[in-house]
Amino acid sequence: METGTKISAIAHVSLISWALFGGTFRSEPLPMAVQDVSVISAEQFAAMTAQREAPELPTDPAELQPPAEPDEIDTPDPTPEELPEPEPVTQPEPEPEPEVEPETVEISPEPELIEQPPTLEEPEPEVAALPVPPGPEAEPNPADKIAPEQVAPPPPEAKPDDIETPAVSLDEGAETQQEQQDQTALEETAPEIVTEAEEVDNPAPRTSPRPRVRPNRPAPTPEPEITETTEPAPTEPAQNEQAINDALAEALGNGTEPSGPPLTSGEKDGLRVAVSQCWNVGSLSTDALKTVVVVAFSLTRDGKVVDGSLRMVNSSGGSDASAKQAYQTARRAILRCVRDGYDLPADKYAQWKDIEITFNPERMRIK
Amino acid sequence: MMKLLTSLLVGLTLLSTSAYAQSGPLRLEIDEGIIEPMPFAVPNFVPDGPSAAQYAQDISRVVVSDLTGTGLFREISSDAFISRVSSFEAEVQFPDWKAINAQALVTGAVNVSGKRLTVRFRVWDVFSGQELGNGLQFAGTTDGWRRMAHKVADQVYTRITGEGAYFDSRVAFVSESGPKDQRRKRLAIMDYDGANVQYLTDSAAIVLAPRFSPTGDQLLYTSYETGQPRIYVLDVGRVKRQELKTQEGTMSFSPRFSPDGRSIVYSLTQGGNTDLWKMDLASGQSVRLTNTPAIETAPSYSPDGSRIVFESDRSGTPQLYIMPANGGEATRISFGQGRYGTPVWSPRGDLIAFTKQNKGRFHIGVMRTDGSEERLLTASFLDEGPTWSPNGRVIMFTRETQGASGRSTLYSVDISGRNLRPVRTPDGGSDPSWGPLQN
Repeated sequence: METGTKISAIAHVSLISWALFGGTFRSEPLPMAVQDVSVISAEQFAAMTAQREAPELPTDPAELQPPAEPDEIDTPDPTPEELPEPEPVTQPEPEPEPEVEPETVEISPEPELIEQPPTLEEPEPEVAALPVPPGPEAEPNPADKIAPEQVAPPPPEAKPDDIETPAVSLDEGAETQQEQQDQTALEETAPEIVTEAEEVDNPAPRTSPRPRVRPNRPAPTPEPEITETTEPAPTEPAQNEQAINDALAEALGNGTEPSGPPLTSGEKDGLRVAVSQCWNVGSLSTDALKTVVVVAFSLTRDGKVVDGSLRMVNSSGGSDASAKQAYQTARRAILRCVRDGYDLPADKYAQWKDIEITFNPERMRIK
Repeated sequence: MMKLLTSLLVGLTLLSTSAYAQSGPLRLEIDEGIIEPMPFAVPNFVPDGPSAAQYAQDISRVVVSDLTGTGLFREISSDAFISRVSSFEAEVQFPDWKAINAQALVTGAVNVSGKRLTVRFRVWDVFSGQELGNGLQFAGTTDGWRRMAHKVADQVYTRITGEGAYFDSRVAFVSESGPKDQRRKRLAIMDYDGANVQYLTDSAAIVLAPRFSPTGDQLLYTSYETGQPRIYVLDVGRVKRQELKTQEGTMSFSPRFSPDGRSIVYSLTQGGNTDLWKMDLASGQSVRLTNTPAIETAPSYSPDGSRIVFESDRSGTPQLYIMPANGGEATRISFGQGRYGTPVWSPRGDLIAFTKQNKGRFHIGVMRTDGSEERLLTASFLDEGPTWSPNGRVIMFTRETQGASGRSTLYSVDISGRNLRPVRTPDGGSDPSWGPLQN
């Protein structure tokens, strides 16, 4: 009997509690939780509760965001401190720059003659803009395969066509055929991977490499990180002030010394793309194409390579001779694409003053 | 709840600030570049006197032709030049060459005194403003100006690409003229680029498959002048030949030198069965290497002389096999669709080139020595008979066009499959054999 009453009591209690709270919990638990989580002042809480009386306004959370603005106001505090610091550094450096300038001034005509410069400049600003991912992706891709040589597209056109017909035309005519084959050969020189034999079989693969660039684009993600760093400021007034302040002081203390905010992945991609568009491995030996080299160099504030700073830090996968060839090609890429200076944010100079680039030709290799 | 969230926030903060406070240089990895011919400039070499002017111009042109012929380089026309090189010793005006995007620059000078010709040259990396290697000088006779130009081009090619040289080499081939049913075939030899063709035999008998000795001073070939295929060895310098005697009542063909040049491996047909044999050139003694009812032919040594790759139909269709150089158990390496033939071991030892027939088309292809990573480089009505450049980077082969009026032409292709191009010869050509780099 006792167990029976216990069971019935538990059942009743649970049923009553479900009737009482079940419905109410379902209706508002999520907004409640969100509101509690967000760090809000007492005034805002008051505003929230006041508005609860009007059940029709589910858009309350929208008002939570405005309070985030004060957060941003807090953030400028650390940055202005950092900015003035790098500036004094710049004053001493401009003096050595004039030495570099005379050379670069002479070089300046290059961009006009070279077709590539426009393509380089475009992707970078677009990356920074973030909102337009598809546009920039399409452009750099053709450049990856054959930078200025739009001549390459013709062969792909031939591929989609019936494979047999061009082949027959090559074989049948006697002398004229040879001329036609010459042309196809010249076109093949650009898209390396496609051999005459492969042309027949797979016309499609050209599109596959395109997606490669996309993963590099998600530039937006890093920015939220920066905002997160600023968020801690509001938490200070909240509760664990001491612990949080200590942590912040420790973290910021390290960061404020030499460096500014880190480069976003979009900014890094901009540099990566700029150099890779000049990294021409077409004239490398098959051995050098197996060699990974790490090249270090320094940049001036205007994004130009400091004279004599280029050096090979490391190499792997090949002989000294092939490492030398691979380094020369990497060096050529860095020096060719610098043009009027790499486009990097001046306020983050400390972050990109010294650079190490690993040139890995594995994906470009002839297997 | 609040505590948990604040601690989470603090964690995030620490994470981000640790990245924030990165130390050391900015590190990036680049794994995607471009593949295009490297633009280079070769201003006409500076002649030391009026007698050297023509040589200077001709040598410059051959250097350019060699480099552009690889498909790895693109010449910048002299019309675009901003600065003129009037003296070999003059300082290079790098900005002028950067402005026209010349990434490599070759400067040189030519001196002629009597019959003696001297060529000096330097190779510059324009964008770094540094010299690649050191200045070099070649001396020879005026008659050999083309060879000296090839030697200069070899140096430039090697210094920029890191690849071994191959321009100063010769190719033996069968020169073909006349209609298909009455074709006249002569043994010929030429520079790798088709220049300086010399004929070594007349067209009285059909000749086949010349093969250079490792030193390049002898040629093996097969002739039908007795009605039966016989192997001859020919001294290239003196143009004197000698038959290599094999057993009576047999046919011998498809010979090739061993890497040390002391022996040859060849096919011998006896009683309707074809097997591989090896002959010691000093003693003339032959040893049987295979003994199967199948047809074994087209043997080719590995560069170290330890193994032989050959073609056999013991499985039912012609396929490629590798066996020890003294015979023994053979391992099949070709497993793709179609028929495989005429395997040739790369001078680097890493690849085997072959002819493949599949679905009515012929291909020149390469595979690793274990049969993996097969890649077909060409496709046509009839491609066959690959031969390797001395550096193992380029393959030359025969392409024959269809029909009664079809003709045979020599073609070359980079092992990447790029730069497929005909080799210009006076008449048609077939059966090329690329000789070693000349001394």
